[in-house]
Amino acid sequence: MECPLLVSIKIRQIFGMAEKEMEYRVELFNKMTQSCFNKCVDNKYKESELNMGENTCIDRCVSKYWHVTNLIGQLLGTGGKQ
Amino acid sequence: MADESQKAVANDFVNSKEVEKPQIQPLSLPTVEEIRGQDIWNNCAVRSVVSGVMGGGLGIAMGLFLGALDNPMMQEQMTGKQQFIFQAKQMGRRSWSSAKAFAVMGFVFSAAECVVEKARAKHDITNTFVAGCTTGAAISAKGGPQAACMGCAGFAAFSVVIEKFLERHQ
Repeated sequence: MECPLLVSIKIRQIFGMAEKEMEYRVELFNKMTQSCFNKCVDNKYKESELNMGENTCIDRCVSKYWHVTNLIGQLLGTGGKQ
Repeated sequence: MADESQKAVANDFVNSKEVEKPQIQPLSLPTVEEIRGQDIWNNCAVRSVVSGVMGGGLGIAMGLFLGALDNPMMQEQMTGKQQFIFQAKQMGRRSWSSAKAFAVMGFVFSAAECVVEKARAKHDITNTFVAGCTTGAAISAKGGPQAACMGCAGFAAFSVVIEKFLERHQ
């Protein structure tokens, strides 16, 4: 039978990791939105709807950002060996 | 005392002006239906078909109008009813050919603009230029390469002018 102190420490650790994960996700979303908006949407707001070009640009931007995030995550994971 | 009352009156005036301004709408993310609608409208095939149909409608109207203006050649030899039937047939022929021409024009222009804009991922006047050139070349392709070049240049210039005019008035 586990010591209740150890159990509570484990629970706190898991909560801490979940919080960190949540913060990481929110940061990723904010950075992605900011960077893709600055890259794709022209400054002269001529209309309120997204053009087809801007729509395509945002699709591609998000896809590339996601791929880059995954790739860098993998490289970080194996970075210690190299 | 008079100053204070004057300030109170001025404040009331400003407040009532501010209340009359339209309320700012709260932010709302697009719903699923809106996103699906946008996706359907961003499809190149759907867009070009709709443009072709609209071009056809415009062609029918123009053909009716222009066909009504033409006078038949044998006006003295026909009775009133024959004249009416002849006129109606002429208007129909004219509007059908005009509808076909305009439908092709609208279809090709819209398809070219959609493809170019999707490839470049930018909303520019260059898209309109290239689409106009393609449409002009497609329409006058039967006259040979020189006619195609002239058609391309002419239609591209025309569509750029129309686009700039529409941009300024919106």
